Amino acid sequence: METTMTRSGSFGWIRGFALNNSILLLLVVMFAASALFVPNFLSPFNMKNLLLQSVDIMIISVGVTFVLLNGGIDFSCVAVLALGSVFGAYIMAKSPIAHTPYAIPAGILAMVSIGLLVGAVNGFSVVILKMPSFIATLATMMVGSGVAVWFTSIVSDKASIIGIPERFFALGGTRGHTLVPIIIALALVLLAHWLLSATLFGRRVFAIGTNPKASFISGMPVKRTVFLLLLVSGLCAGVQSVIATARNQAGIPSLGDRVFIDIVAAIIIGGTSVFGGSGGVIKTVYGVLFISLLNNDVNMLGIEWYVISLIKGLLVLIAAFIDVFSKRVDLIRR
Amino acid sequence: MPSDTILALRQIAKSFFGAEVLHGIDLEVVRGEVLGLVGENGAGKSTLMNILGGVWLRDRGTMELNGRPFEPANPKDAQAAGIAFIHQELSLFSNLTVAENIFIDELPTGPFWSVQYASMRSRAQEYIDTFGVQTTPGTKIASVPMGVRQTVEVTKALIKKAQIIIFDEPTTSLSQKEKENLFRIIDHLHREGGITVIYISHILEDVFSLCERIAVLRDGALVGVEQTARLTKPQVIKMMVGRDLEQIYPHGEKKIGDVVYQARGIAQGKAVQGVSMELRSGEVVGLFGLMGAGRTELVRCLFGVDKMDAGEVIFHGRKMKSISPKSCIRNGIAFVTEDRRQEGLLMSKPVKDNLVTVILDRLTQLLGMVSRSKESQESEKAIRELNIKVYDKNRQEVKSLSGGNQQKVVIGKWIMRNPSMFILDEPTRGVDVGAKHEIYVIINDMARHGATVLFVSSEMEELMGVCDRIMVIHRGKIVANFTKGEYDQERIMGFALGGEGS
Repeated sequence: METTMTRSGSFGWIRGFALNNSILLLLVVMFAASALFVPNFLSPFNMKNLLLQSVDIMIISVGVTFVLLNGGIDFSCVAVLALGSVFGAYIMAKSPIAHTPYAIPAGILAMVSIGLLVGAVNGFSVVILKMPSFIATLATMMVGSGVAVWFTSIVSDKASIIGIPERFFALGGTRGHTLVPIIIALALVLLAHWLLSATLFGRRVFAIGTNPKASFISGMPVKRTVFLLLLVSGLCAGVQSVIATARNQAGIPSLGDRVFIDIVAAIIIGGTSVFGGSGGVIKTVYGVLFISLLNNDVNMLGIEWYVISLIKGLLVLIAAFIDVFSKRVDLIRR
Repeated sequence: MPSDTILALRQIAKSFFGAEVLHGIDLEVVRGEVLGLVGENGAGKSTLMNILGGVWLRDRGTMELNGRPFEPANPKDAQAAGIAFIHQELSLFSNLTVAENIFIDELPTGPFWSVQYASMRSRAQEYIDTFGVQTTPGTKIASVPMGVRQTVEVTKALIKKAQIIIFDEPTTSLSQKEKENLFRIIDHLHREGGITVIYISHILEDVFSLCERIAVLRDGALVGVEQTARLTKPQVIKMMVGRDLEQIYPHGEKKIGDVVYQARGIAQGKAVQGVSMELRSGEVVGLFGLMGAGRTELVRCLFGVDKMDAGEVIFHGRKMKSISPKSCIRNGIAFVTEDRRQEGLLMSKPVKDNLVTVILDRLTQLLGMVSRSKESQESEKAIRELNIKVYDKNRQEVKSLSGGNQQKVVIGKWIMRNPSMFILDEPTRGVDVGAKHEIYVIINDMARHGATVLFVSSEMEELMGVCDRIMVIHRGKIVANFTKGEYDQERIMGFALGGEGS
């Protein structure tokens, strides 16, 4: 996990701790407040809901974190959700191999592969064609979403693809299999965290995100690493698409239409810097939990949608401000 | 103040990070004159002009313009007061036209803020005719040659009613014809416009032919201001470099071995024009040159940071097939860049992270995991051996270290790899005297252990103190080679300025 230290001084370490882990504090405070003020917050049903809701964006957010650590962004993650969902659903429900023992594994494989494919396309655009990730992933997102809708219109007469074998839904946590998606998410989160904090690859990600030029001169494989980051993001989106499809029990081309904001908000509020070079998986996990908590409260309290949008926006602003402030970029030398 | 003094600087002093770079400069500029300003890199010319131009605030001293106190808080103030600064890197907009650039700060507007293009075009045409430039007001700057761009900058200055125009190294990217044209323009400004010109350049012939007086800066102090007619070039060179060599350089027994590094015909654009060199093990070879000579471009090519157009490198008898940082590092070459903040360090990361950057792969064990204990050990070792002053290597960010310590971190990260060849580009820039000495000791130690060192610097004194021989580079070519016994400051500077020392 990343730590940065601000100025030394009598309260330097408190400031340091607070800035690094403010999201954890925020999360705890929020949770406590919810327990106090939201009726039925602590009920087993709501707790289960909360966990499953956070799983809904956990994996994909962790994936996108990798890209943000390099100062980039991945808009296409939500398109992977949609694309993966409709292709996977098609394979499992309507394709020639639907309802055979191969259907579900093939479907899962397809969904994950689509994630990898989109990630690879993004990687190629950014690394070889030298496009900024903003443009490259925006383009893949638009193409991907379009393809998802078009494909659905071809293979189904409804707005979604239904008819997936019921066994698949276990991955989404239905009927007593609640733990399944949670365990999958946990495993991936731990894997991602290990990758970033303990391995050579992780060190390179942070170094390159901090200063790609210096990293290049120090002999690091910058192009390869950036490519892998986009690949990871796509892969995570692909895995998320499996869980999302299982949860929704259908292939939905509009999957993910509204979650991009939550994903980015979770990452930024969690503390990963948009400039790249600092942040991490654990921070994003806290961010995701926080956003889910927020969404949960909104539902339980019946608050209007725009209020929550306002709050999320403000928090992102504050988080970004803290980010810039703690880096104290000196633009003018006097 | 006498009425013909347009600008008076008194006791101007400036420090950066605790090191004083200008020590109380007193200078009076005569109205309408062309004053030459010369000095080595680091002498303080740019700092002084930046203070005049409002880019930096002076720490002490006063300035008077036309008899009234002059204290620009920013470049705009200075421009408004009539000071135009034409930098080496021109500030033009390549996607806009000649006319638009000329009037960029004062676009003539009519009703409803509409821009009066017709009037702009005709006024621009007037200037184009006066200066005899081969262009039209509607041509985009991107397609216009350097000489014309410079004229556009001058015109911009005139539009803003500049009284003093400062030229900073204006001819480095100009052809001979364009240079002559620039001189004609300066002459015109001087005679017809009564404009005062301050001309900064390394090219002494130009300074001598253009300027009425020459001011020489050395180590942040004004060594002298004199009528050009009363000066000779050798005299000016002596004023630029003459000083005692302080005994801050390490000595020690050292063996110089065989040739291990050969570069042949390295070329890149206009900056590097066919450079070849042979370096031996245990040798510390200096590369001296002034700004724009091509030093940094050359070493960046050697390490593969920038692509060279032609040339080959043979290291330890084997030709290097592809030259990139990765391949150089693998072969045992290290490169300390000129700009440690942008390219040498991860500023916001702790000292430990920076120190292990180049040896990360060596610290990696199974499953790709980096060994934290080894990381800690190795970085501790480097901190001890290089005497890097840091109180918490795991958490203290490298940006909070002093310049000298930062530089030691950069050197440290490369030393960890045990390279057999070091390329150092200005390793003591922005470093205090104490740390400079430590770095010289480190360089000497490296060489004593058999490493080859290529030491690029614009500080002649340190090269003379540390190197076994010094190559001089001028306009992309190696023009001279001095071995230890034959070091002569004036001759070296003479070659660096171009021509055979005079």
